[in-house]
Amino acid sequence: MSALAVGLTVNGRARAVLVDGRTTLLEALRENLGLTGAKRGCNQGVCGACTVLLDGRPVRGCLTLAAACEGAEVTTVEGLAPAGALNPVQQAIVEAGAVQCGFCTPGIVMSATALLRERPGASLEEVRQGLSGNLCRCSGYRGIVEAVHRAAAGAKATGGKA
Amino acid sequence: MRLEDSFTVRAPADKVWAALTDPATIGRCLPGIERIEATGADAYRAAIRVELGPIRTVFNVQVEIRDQAPPRRMTTVTRGEEGTRASVLSADSTVELDERPDGTTAVRYASEVAVVGRLGKFGLGVMRKKAEALGRTFADNFRAWVEQAAAA
Amino acid sequence: MTGFRRPSTVAEAVGLLAADAEARALAGGATLVAMMNADLVAPSALVSLAGIAALRRTETLPDGSVRLGAMRRHAENAVMDLAPGPDVVRRAAARIANPVVRNMGTIGGSVAFADPGADYPAALVAAGAAVEIAGPSGDRAVAAEDFFVDWYTTALGPGEIVTGVVLPPGGAGARSAYDKLVRVSGDFAIVSVAAVARLERGAVAGLRVAVGGCGPRPVRVAEAERALLGGGLDGPAAAALGAAIAEAADPPDDVRGSAAYRRRVIPGLVARALAACAAPLEHAA
Repeated sequence: MSALAVGLTVNGRARAVLVDGRTTLLEALRENLGLTGAKRGCNQGVCGACTVLLDGRPVRGCLTLAAACEGAEVTTVEGLAPAGALNPVQQAIVEAGAVQCGFCTPGIVMSATALLRERPGASLEEVRQGLSGNLCRCSGYRGIVEAVHRAAAGAKATGGKA
Repeated sequence: MRLEDSFTVRAPADKVWAALTDPATIGRCLPGIERIEATGADAYRAAIRVELGPIRTVFNVQVEIRDQAPPRRMTTVTRGEEGTRASVLSADSTVELDERPDGTTAVRYASEVAVVGRLGKFGLGVMRKKAEALGRTFADNFRAWVEQAAAA
Repeated sequence: MTGFRRPSTVAEAVGLLAADAEARALAGGATLVAMMNADLVAPSALVSLAGIAALRRTETLPDGSVRLGAMRRHAENAVMDLAPGPDVVRRAAARIANPVVRNMGTIGGSVAFADPGADYPAALVAAGAAVEIAGPSGDRAVAAEDFFVDWYTTALGPGEIVTGVVLPPGGAGARSAYDKLVRVSGDFAIVSVAAVARLERGAVAGLRVAVGGCGPRPVRVAEAERALLGGGLDGPAAAALGAAIAEAADPPDDVRGSAAYRRRVIPGLVARALAACAAPLEHAA
């Protein structure tokens, strides 16, 4: 029985959801708003597949309560670029073919996007640190890290727009 | 996980045995017991409150005494659950009493305990610590109660 | 149906918690929401501390102590400008989990949960910190060493919350080190070591060493620390300190390591922490 009304901005649009005190932001995004890019992996905040941006900061959707997001701005992987377009991180990962099953990818894209906004010319080591909260069970990470690093170099060249 | 410990009671083995198989005595010596009763000649049912930081729950357990050689040895089988089977517990235990020439009795117990479900999921080493602390508190309470009753 | 309350003052939050024994304070949610997701706790209501400005207040006190508001996130603490000595807390914060979780978890929430494998407790004991508390009976402060009482158990009473942490000044010649043994970056410590030393002309004038992940509370052996006074941060007294801490520890057997393994690695980690304190101060954080 959900009785809490929460108003928040998601990918630039004002949205309203009806939730319970214990509904997570991840559940609200996926179930209430149909934004299934953020994934439920461990539901414990460890795997990173649920990573989204909350007021510009990368957070775990599964550990954020929807009720705590009143008035907040949330960005999901669906909102990183206009329909049909890809942001530089997404583009770099596509070009590198750095996707296998794809389950970790939205979370990685969100963490990487936040990283590049913070550190446009991030080094390989800074990329690894920035992605250290995202688990990938398929790939061994190297392709992902190199792709994000290339995007970082590009972001530095274009003055830090990711 | 395997739990074992031993303690000495200044009372003869038959008194210790009688106390170990008396639900009222167990109820007053084991911390967290909310309810305990005999359900048969060698069977008991109990509700035990368990706290682990912010986690609070009640385990409902059934204990059956299997092989017994009073007043020296018994094996027990415990099955229980908490949270409507959110966790399931099973424990197979052996208790041995060894009366010494000076009239004191050494009590040794060994339990093979398994917890599966929400409490078992996180590999909490602290659960073993809590169980060991519970065992020590039980031993202290039991010893005090039985020795005081034996002296009376 | 779990309620959600958003008090704007500490007094309001305390009142809500004191009125409902099944309500829980919500700080960053990094631990509490994970436990709710795992069905380990089911609060009747959540009392969010996020809207309480007083809990974010950070200040330097007249005696040079630094007070950190309870709702400061690990990410902020990990880059905070702190003097040598109290900077052990910055070192510990930087090792918590990963950048994303550090954006969520708070020092107050972490300290109130008192996970034996967490990073702050040993650092706070080594720093000689105090934990500030507000509750139905008023405000009080408890030394970190006395605040951590047992496994996941603190000195907090019903209705009480952590409002901040006070770090005393390190003093002249202060140095600190923090390290933890983990198999996966950011994981809870198998063993962690926090050390704060004061050196005068190369000799130890003060030393506090606390080990985490090895018992219900951070492990510290003050008598063994005193044996290093006047000497160096190495040698037989230093080795004896590591051995004394290993002896005093009550480590768990769990998925991250056996109790025997933890005892075994304590002396080596303590030696490394002392050596780090002896090394010249780095000039870039």
